[in-house]
Amino acid sequence: MKLSLFEIPLGPQHPALKEPIRFIFKLDGEIVVGAEPRLGYVHRGVEKLAETRTFIQDVYLAERICGICSAAHTTCFVQAVEELLGIEPPPRAKYIRLIVFELNRIQSHLLWLGILAYEMGFDTLFMYIWRDRERVLDVLEMITGNRVLYAINQIGGVRHDIDDKIAAYMRKALSYLRERTKYYKGIVERDPTINARAVEVGILKKRDAIALCAVGPTTRGSGVKFDIRADDPYAALDEVPFNVVVYDTEDVMARTLVRIDEILESISMIEYALDHMPSGDIRVRVPRVVPAGEAVSRVEAPRGELVYYVRSAGGEKPERVKVRTPTLANIPALCKMLEGAYVADIPVIVASIDPCLACMDRAIFVDVSKEKVWVWSERELRRYSLRWYRSREGVRRR
Amino acid sequence: MSVIKELLKNLFTKPITLKYPQERKPPAERFRGRVYVDYDKCIGCGLCARDCPASAIEMVVIEPEKGIRGRRPLIDLSRCIFCGQCELSCPRKAIKFIHEYELATSDKKSLLLIPPKPKGSQKP
Amino acid sequence: MSVLEYLMVLVKTLIYPGVIFVIILSLIYEWVDRKVYARMQNRIGPFYVGPSGFLQPFADFLKLLSKEDIVPPHVDYHVFTLSPIITLYLVLLAMFLIPTGAWNEPYAILAFEGDYILALALTTFITIFSFFAGWSSVNRFGVIGAMRALYQMISYEISMFLCAAAVALDTRTLCLSRMAEVQASGLWYILLHPLGFVVFILSMQAELDKVPFDTPEAKTEIVGGWLTEISGKKLAFFRLASDIKLFFCASLATTLYLAGPWGPLGPNILWFLAKVTFVIILVTTLRAAFARFRIDQVLAVFWKYAIPLSLVQVLIALFIPH
Repeated sequence: MKLSLFEIPLGPQHPALKEPIRFIFKLDGEIVVGAEPRLGYVHRGVEKLAETRTFIQDVYLAERICGICSAAHTTCFVQAVEELLGIEPPPRAKYIRLIVFELNRIQSHLLWLGILAYEMGFDTLFMYIWRDRERVLDVLEMITGNRVLYAINQIGGVRHDIDDKIAAYMRKALSYLRERTKYYKGIVERDPTINARAVEVGILKKRDAIALCAVGPTTRGSGVKFDIRADDPYAALDEVPFNVVVYDTEDVMARTLVRIDEILESISMIEYALDHMPSGDIRVRVPRVVPAGEAVSRVEAPRGELVYYVRSAGGEKPERVKVRTPTLANIPALCKMLEGAYVADIPVIVASIDPCLACMDRAIFVDVSKEKVWVWSERELRRYSLRWYRSREGVRRR
Repeated sequence: MSVIKELLKNLFTKPITLKYPQERKPPAERFRGRVYVDYDKCIGCGLCARDCPASAIEMVVIEPEKGIRGRRPLIDLSRCIFCGQCELSCPRKAIKFIHEYELATSDKKSLLLIPPKPKGSQKP
Repeated sequence: MSVLEYLMVLVKTLIYPGVIFVIILSLIYEWVDRKVYARMQNRIGPFYVGPSGFLQPFADFLKLLSKEDIVPPHVDYHVFTLSPIITLYLVLLAMFLIPTGAWNEPYAILAFEGDYILALALTTFITIFSFFAGWSSVNRFGVIGAMRALYQMISYEISMFLCAAAVALDTRTLCLSRMAEVQASGLWYILLHPLGFVVFILSMQAELDKVPFDTPEAKTEIVGGWLTEISGKKLAFFRLASDIKLFFCASLATTLYLAGPWGPLGPNILWFLAKVTFVIILVTTLRAAFARFRIDQVLAVFWKYAIPLSLVQVLIALFIPH
């Protein structure tokens, strides 16, 4: 006798998810035997929008792809454009970029840690961590003028400088954060309820992590030493020393500890950068017209490897911008992790890859009447849309 | 287990929540609140309107006899994304951001920053 | 009975320490729980409605009463609609068995030999009605939550009953009011049965569906658990019932371990309320200090640790009488 499997949907609206994504789980009692993700709820057509705006305006568009990792997106895009222009920002600008980037990483990991605690039912830790995260946001507001969406990266350098008053405030805030992060690390390692929910949960074996191309702390928690900051240094990373944090217990606890240790590493990196910051300009003037060519740039966003491909045809606007965000690379690994897990662990496992669905969405097409499912490449979609618009006269392409 | 000590300590400390709007935290110095245009410094070049990512700025003619130099920016705050590119693009530093951030209103027209006729300071 | 005695019975059952008193005090205790929980987390908690937010639970109850009551199409209508009413009725009935010290009387409104068994049985029935509410709602999440409520019930009920049985064996009575009275002239049972007190508080945490044992209504996992499809007046009744359940379980712990209403000057309601407040703050501290267990871990914790410890407590009570 074959028991029919109970199907339970998760999302697109669910208290466990911060952004809409739809999973359909096939259950056998309380164990998940299959997971099918459906994406596309936050697809905004950013790559197409980027072609209709100039390079200067696209910096702000890239920033708004994701509010939490916005520094990563601007850094990556600006680096690609600077490569096309063939210019280098001044050394002081690189250090300031690195500092804002690492502050963004600290803020993102603290946010994630609070969310993980909340998913496990530990409201107190969530409140405490987000209270401490406010310090980072205050520092970012002092440097850049805003708590999220900093707008500090410009093509050719950075917009604002860090003076001594800001640096003094930063050092105090960073030492406070370091103490609090060590305290949270102690709680996470020792609390029996967190251990019960995180140890041996959401196993991703090392060979699966490599085969499914997982990125970021998801793969570093499975023993794979893959960090763009070490493999392909950018900004001032060739001059600032740091350690790549790897744990090999392959479960949610490993990924949690990877992120907590990365916070401590980032704090040390920022302090080093503040101590060794070179003096000089923070910007160079760049022409508005970018010569033809193509460039790829990669950075280590808080969630993993972020890739930007920018192609210019020699004008003020890019011809093509493609963004590959880390969460998209982690989704196949997520489906693998979910097999064999309990229903009760699903929110914790989904949260442990740090999903940032706003960055990630792609559109797939499901033809319900013909029961066909297909994915289009950008060229096919573009051709189809041009044909569709032309056949309806009077609808102009902006 | 170690959270319990902090829990009990926090029972006797003042909560950190601010009772907004009675208690407000002052924003940092570089905070980007509302856009502020010094219309006397403006020369009507239109670089701000050209560079605005959100198409929130439109150049309107104030003094028709001066031609291009008689234009001033009309800013639609409901489209503004507070990025600050206009401040960077302006060659005369006529645009800056002030600390006013409580901009919510039920009257959309009040969000249009209309440049005044000459000899006046800006009217929000 | 004379007219005055009839009137007194009515006042005692309906007003003080009866229904109205219990409802008002449970809502006040919900405020205590929320305020202490918030202050532990460095937040303010309720502060807007009434002085220091003290009337917030009343406002919540009234608001829920006025909301739309949506009944999904395929539910088992009578079970679905009757469960909140019966739950509220059962938990109010349970409160009559507790000696509160009102009117400076040592006995509860309804005190008889064996009322301790009735009190514990009522806690079982209340959980079974939450199962009914979830099961009859025919919603995936409701069904999962209802099943989890039952799994939890078979874990904490045994350890809770065994600890209470240890106290009953020691005091040689089955009447809750007498159990409180016995402690007044001797040592409180929190000192004589410390193991039993700890296990009882842990089981109480599971009975009340509070972290670390709040799997039946785990907000982040199964939307609302068995409460998913319940809205409007039904939700108001269920929430009120869960507040009164908090008051009831804390009073049960007070009666069994902290000598109920007995203070240095005899039975007094203020002593009783002070002890209940202490127990409730203990529950809130436990709620704030832990994450949530998975349902199989809840069963493991109780069957591997709590039940053997409560059996040890019973053996201690049998062979080392006081």
